[in-house]
Amino acid sequence: MERALGIDIVCAPPNARDGGRAIRSILRILVCLTLACAAARADTLAQIVQRGSFVWGADQEGGGLYAFLDAVDPSQPRGCDVDLAQALARELTREFGRPIEARFAQGQWDKLPELLETGRIDLVLNGFEWMPERAQRMRSTIPYYVFELQLLVRADAGASGWDWLRTRPAKRVGVLGGSAAERYLAEHEPGLELVSYDGSTNAMGDVASGRLDATLQDLPIAIYYRRNFPSLEPAGELVGAGRYVIYVRRTDAALCDALDRAIRSLRADGTLEAIYTRYDCWNAAQLTSPLLELPRADVQDSRSGAGESSFLARHASTLLQAAGMTVLLSLASFPLAIALGILVALGRRYGPRWVSWPLGVYVEVLRGTPLMLQLFVLFYVLPNAGLRLDALLAAVLGLAINYSAYEAEIYRAGLQAVPPGQMEAALALGMSQRLALRRIVLPQAVRIVIPATTNDFIALFKDTSVCSVITVVELTKSYNIAAMNNPADVLPLAVLAGLLYLAMSYPLSLLSSRLEARLRR
Amino acid sequence: MSEVASARAAGQSPVIRVADLHKRHGELEVLRGITLEVQRGDVAVIIGPSGGGKSTFLRCLNGLERFDEGRVTIHGTTLLPQMERSLEARALREVRAHVGMVFQQFHLFPHMTVLENIVEAPIHVAHVPPEEARTRARTLLERVGLAAKAERRPGVLSGGEQQRVAIARALAMNPEVILFDEPTSSLDPRMTGEVLSVMSDLAQEGLTMLVVTHAMAFARKAAKHVHVFHEGRVVESGPPEQVLEDPRERVTREFLRLAWG
Repeated sequence: MERALGIDIVCAPPNARDGGRAIRSILRILVCLTLACAAARADTLAQIVQRGSFVWGADQEGGGLYAFLDAVDPSQPRGCDVDLAQALARELTREFGRPIEARFAQGQWDKLPELLETGRIDLVLNGFEWMPERAQRMRSTIPYYVFELQLLVRADAGASGWDWLRTRPAKRVGVLGGSAAERYLAEHEPGLELVSYDGSTNAMGDVASGRLDATLQDLPIAIYYRRNFPSLEPAGELVGAGRYVIYVRRTDAALCDALDRAIRSLRADGTLEAIYTRYDCWNAAQLTSPLLELPRADVQDSRSGAGESSFLARHASTLLQAAGMTVLLSLASFPLAIALGILVALGRRYGPRWVSWPLGVYVEVLRGTPLMLQLFVLFYVLPNAGLRLDALLAAVLGLAINYSAYEAEIYRAGLQAVPPGQMEAALALGMSQRLALRRIVLPQAVRIVIPATTNDFIALFKDTSVCSVITVVELTKSYNIAAMNNPADVLPLAVLAGLLYLAMSYPLSLLSSRLEARLRR
Repeated sequence: MSEVASARAAGQSPVIRVADLHKRHGELEVLRGITLEVQRGDVAVIIGPSGGGKSTFLRCLNGLERFDEGRVTIHGTTLLPQMERSLEARALREVRAHVGMVFQQFHLFPHMTVLENIVEAPIHVAHVPPEEARTRARTLLERVGLAAKAERRPGVLSGGEQQRVAIARALAMNPEVILFDEPTSSLDPRMTGEVLSVMSDLAQEGLTMLVVTHAMAFARKAAKHVHVFHEGRVVESGPPEQVLEDPRERVTREFLRLAWG
């Protein structure tokens, strides 16, 4: 083993022997692990056959008809992708003569490629469209389904289709982030304002509530979810045909071929028709469309020459703009959070019981529930109560309210840390309690809590990324979108986004330590 | 010094009149019926063993503590145990406008300069024009020997200096009477001397003072009346030469023996 790894025991000087041995052992283990991983990567199909299962990744959140929670038995996902995965497992079982089962793994939809590449799942099977960028990064099977895009509008909008949309004043259209619809609109309808969502149903809900003019969805999704949104109706002709494929790792040619064979066989024996008929999405195109075959050469050649302009030129301005949104969110929400927090802290410490008790509940509820949930309630639930907030306003309010609970606790501690003698001295000089708080106690509390509030400001600054769940495109979301569409640039994009965050938060730290020093005089 | 002189000119009427004051902390009765008067221009000193209710009594006089029975009348305004909220607020405002207080721990405002500490209440409570308030504050600082420290923060001053600033701060509101709550108890002997000398000057100028203290020499020299507190009662009252040198009560004798060492 030593010789094979090129490590020479004899050469180690005697006095370094113990240390040398330890290092060599670690090296040996690392090398073995790497080799083992490489071996595992080399032939996933053999592994699958051997362990008797493959792991397929999908997202059950807003999972359309593809993979969703069964209302009766939530432990098992349901959907056409689930049925397809099981059918594939049966095919593989037949071909290899050993039992192979499909095991489902939950993953965030736009992160499934990362899960695939890091070896956590064996295949991505979740209504993923064939795209040249994706096909470069991962290996694609032949299409198992071809689809078109359907525009959905409110039934009472009197809409006639695409021309109507182009004449709307705002022209706001919701799409699933990174979806075929998003790409189609960006390419063919430059006049529209695209709003990117994490789930299809959120976009449809926002059309129903009037926040959006329309949404463009994969036809199967449009068909499937229309029963949940009776106020929506399809409008205009179908556009932008696309194909759903299964992605495997770049190196898994054997697995890909096996899946291709399985898909062909499932189409030939009518299994695909049976599955998609169950979900109301079978049509003749599934047997006749020219898109059904995927020329391999096409996969390799499609992107050569594209996107050769410099990396920075392509992304810097988009990311910078998004960074501006991050700054705007932080600067607008934090002062509000502090003002609210101080009021809550004063009410809790000096207010009568009927004031202090509800404020205690306010703090506990807001601290005890996630920011993301609060943003969801503000943005998606409140419209049901007739209060429809603009995304930016909802984001600023959500951040401010959430952080006000933390600031309230910090300020309560700060107020408590001011010696009671200060209040007494002020009262003895004839000040009212209110004047004493404003002139004497609060200024001292502010000095005490500055380090803690700075900390919170930086935390809030990073928490602005959560606002992407309510369609605000800030730095993290912008990075995600860019990374989705430029898989090859993921690493430099991540570095750039990280540097932008640092470039913004570090001056904040500096500013606060200077403020601290000044007030500590 | 004119404001002190005018206070003396008003003649013999009690600035502070306390009748049958009771104060309880749960089961413990801290004050058990205190009756006491301080005449205009007088210096009254309260002595007695710790835990006798001296500080609590002082804090009842300007409403920093509530009491359970009795009445406190200061410069014509009366505080009662159960007052209606708005009446109480108005009474407290009246009382505090006429009563200054100097604390054992000074309680200067650390985020302000010495001068700002002194002008804070005149400007924001009495609404004196800022320039006028500052001029007067400098005069007061001169009087307590700290004119050079006007722009310093309290944190860099010695304890004695801080207490003299606190006295100047109380004087800036032109009070009828100043309550001193053990003003020298956290000071070393040299600083104690500085503070007592300022207080003696004020006494000579005719400022009405009610002083809780263990400084017997000051009581002997400056007080017109000495009251001995013990377990929530006034056990003995009288001129200092009588109470301090020829005490009638055993409690006083024991306390004095320990106090003089």
